[in-house]
Amino acid sequence: MDDLENIKADILVDCRGLSCPMPILRVKKELKSMKKGQIVELWSTDPGSKKDMPDFAVKQGEEFLGYVDEAGYTRYLIKKGG
Amino acid sequence: MEKTGLGSDIWREIKRGYNFIFIQDMPLWVAGIALGILAILIFLWRYPWGISSGYGNWGQQLYYYLGFGKWVGLKKAPLTPWMHPVSVMNIGMILGATGASMMKNQFTTYRAPGREYVKGFIGGALMGIGSSFANGCIEGGFYTAVGVYSMGGFMMMIGLALGSILGVKYLIWEMLNWPVKIPTQKPLDCKKTPLINWCKVYPYIGGGIYILICLSFYVYSAFDKTVIGGMAFFGLLVGFFMQRSRFCLQRTFRNPFMTGDYEMVKAVILSLIIYSAGSAVIKYGFFQPDTHGIDHRFWLGSLLGGFIFGLGMVIAGACASSGLWRAGEGNTKVWVAIVGFCTVYPVTKYAVANTALGPFLGKGIYVVNVLGWTWTPVFYIAFFLIWYLLAVYNSKTEKFVISF
Repeated sequence: MDDLENIKADILVDCRGLSCPMPILRVKKELKSMKKGQIVELWSTDPGSKKDMPDFAVKQGEEFLGYVDEAGYTRYLIKKGG
Repeated sequence: MEKTGLGSDIWREIKRGYNFIFIQDMPLWVAGIALGILAILIFLWRYPWGISSGYGNWGQQLYYYLGFGKWVGLKKAPLTPWMHPVSVMNIGMILGATGASMMKNQFTTYRAPGREYVKGFIGGALMGIGSSFANGCIEGGFYTAVGVYSMGGFMMMIGLALGSILGVKYLIWEMLNWPVKIPTQKPLDCKKTPLINWCKVYPYIGGGIYILICLSFYVYSAFDKTVIGGMAFFGLLVGFFMQRSRFCLQRTFRNPFMTGDYEMVKAVILSLIIYSAGSAVIKYGFFQPDTHGIDHRFWLGSLLGGFIFGLGMVIAGACASSGLWRAGEGNTKVWVAIVGFCTVYPVTKYAVANTALGPFLGKGIYVVNVLGWTWTPVFYIAFFLIWYLLAVYNSKTEKFVISF
């Protein structure tokens, strides 16, 4: 988890307060314009994101780096795949 | 160092069991099987499983006690929410989800942007209108309808898919053209220790809720209302399985067009195979009348109702059943969607049922009366197979995924 906390993302998507399916849609939108190896960070309050985001990343062929629980929200890190 | 001895070993096993049942992620297919079995039991217990009439009962209270009972066809007070079987089951589902989310420390209420609440209400209202047309929500009008061999279920499925496409297109348009302002949050912080550390207290409250609902069964029985008590218990189990696995019928129709994901499609097909096989036994064996619950307005009502409902559920971010468990785990937007559903549904349901619109939209058709018991299983196997293959094809090719 220490490693995850130190990762510097290229793009931040703040979805705090938004529920399913907006976190997925907004991350999908950012991933489209990202280059291979870039990292997108999602902030989400939706408990469903903990299951949705890893599944979504794998389905899209991206690398799900993990998540970190913060005070009242969770940070998710996804690396753009090839 | 870990303690050894019989007592410690038993305690460790109990903790492991608790972790397995209440904490670890539950796969969707487990919930699919469980819900298929529960739907059969509910059918045997009382009537095929539905949700919207429970929302209708809640809305009727509002109209009756504000003096507008005639708008919803009420001459006398409606059944109280704790005596209406479907309302009781819905309450059981909410509390089942609340308990499950608390035990996993997932229960959280967070503030959504103002616009999301408006979308919640409009989405809920659309779901209410759709349910009136189809004579059932996504749960009763599609899942149960297919499970008990009502033609309306298949037509509602087409409508739900079309409505979901429009809903996803709207969400994409909104995301690209109308950015939303993220509100500042003051949510629960498990890392700090306020006067009461709710993160430590929630699991006990969750467990307490489960014990209370199980006890309520005995209270209902003591008043000779065992059937209603059973509905609370079934609701608790349904809410538990749905929340634990995040079983969302809305996702079945929305995600294939949004990302190509078809995990829910697989789970629903598995669930419906069990449900339809079970209801065939029930109907063929005359345990319940074979046309019991075949009241979905085939074909126009189911199609139009499905379309309106599908659009509404995507905008609201929840359908009738996932609305209950999401509300139970603290989603405030979904609470507003339920208010929208309850406010509109009783009025439109009464209007549709008591005007020429009702018969115009269609009537319940029993699949077995059309195809007979010889061809009905063939039709069902073909239907499940085609649906599954289409979902797999779409997942690999993204042919039906809406691009942006």
